[in-house]
Amino acid sequence: MNGAGLPVMTAPAVEDGEPAPPAVTFGDGLPGFPAARRFSLERWGGDDSPFSVLQSLDDEALRFVVVPPDTFFPDYAPVLDDGDADRLGLAEPEDAIVLVVVSLGERVEDATANLLGPVVVNRHTLAAAQVVLSGQDLPARRRLVNA
Amino acid sequence: MLVLTRSAKQSIVIGTDVVVTILEVRGDQVRIGISAPRSVSVHREEVFAELEAANKAAASPGAAALRQLDGIRPAAPR
Repeated sequence: MNGAGLPVMTAPAVEDGEPAPPAVTFGDGLPGFPAARRFSLERWGGDDSPFSVLQSLDDEALRFVVVPPDTFFPDYAPVLDDGDADRLGLAEPEDAIVLVVVSLGERVEDATANLLGPVVVNRHTLAAAQVVLSGQDLPARRRLVNA
Repeated sequence: MLVLTRSAKQSIVIGTDVVVTILEVRGDQVRIGISAPRSVSVHREEVFAELEAANKAAASPGAAALRQLDGIRPAAPR
């Protein structure tokens, strides 16, 4: 466990006969990327960086920048519905790692985070989903800088 | 696309365990009840489309965009 509360997962070289490295697994894919199921999650940048990269293990070109929302949005308190919690096998809030997807633009000021659809990961099984928090009045694009 | 005509209080069954019921029709609005197992996620299409668009905008930033991350840090707590 590190300071940002994220598991650090490195993808070791897989040799014949070795089990695959642990993968964050989106059983339903992600909206827009239904075939993207297995990802590694690795810290990005130096020790003071809160960011991580979800790297697809199925499509080398596909990756997402993610960040724990409390680093930028301390008031963010997403409420998962029971169906999502069931699907991910979450019994307690502590079982979940919540991350928001960051979208980068031309300039630093353009960076936004998706608070409407956070990525929720079961920290024990690494089962994951991008859940839809409809009815909670959350934006899909909230600025990170001067948030 | 399968097109069916239903009246209020009538339902359609999808598969064996998803039931969609027309609850009320008032003007150009229709209230719909959906009964589905918890393993099935149900969303308004426009919300799902918003997430699709946000994901496509966020996917696979290039090296220059990733370098921006070094300049993005939370504001110091006030």
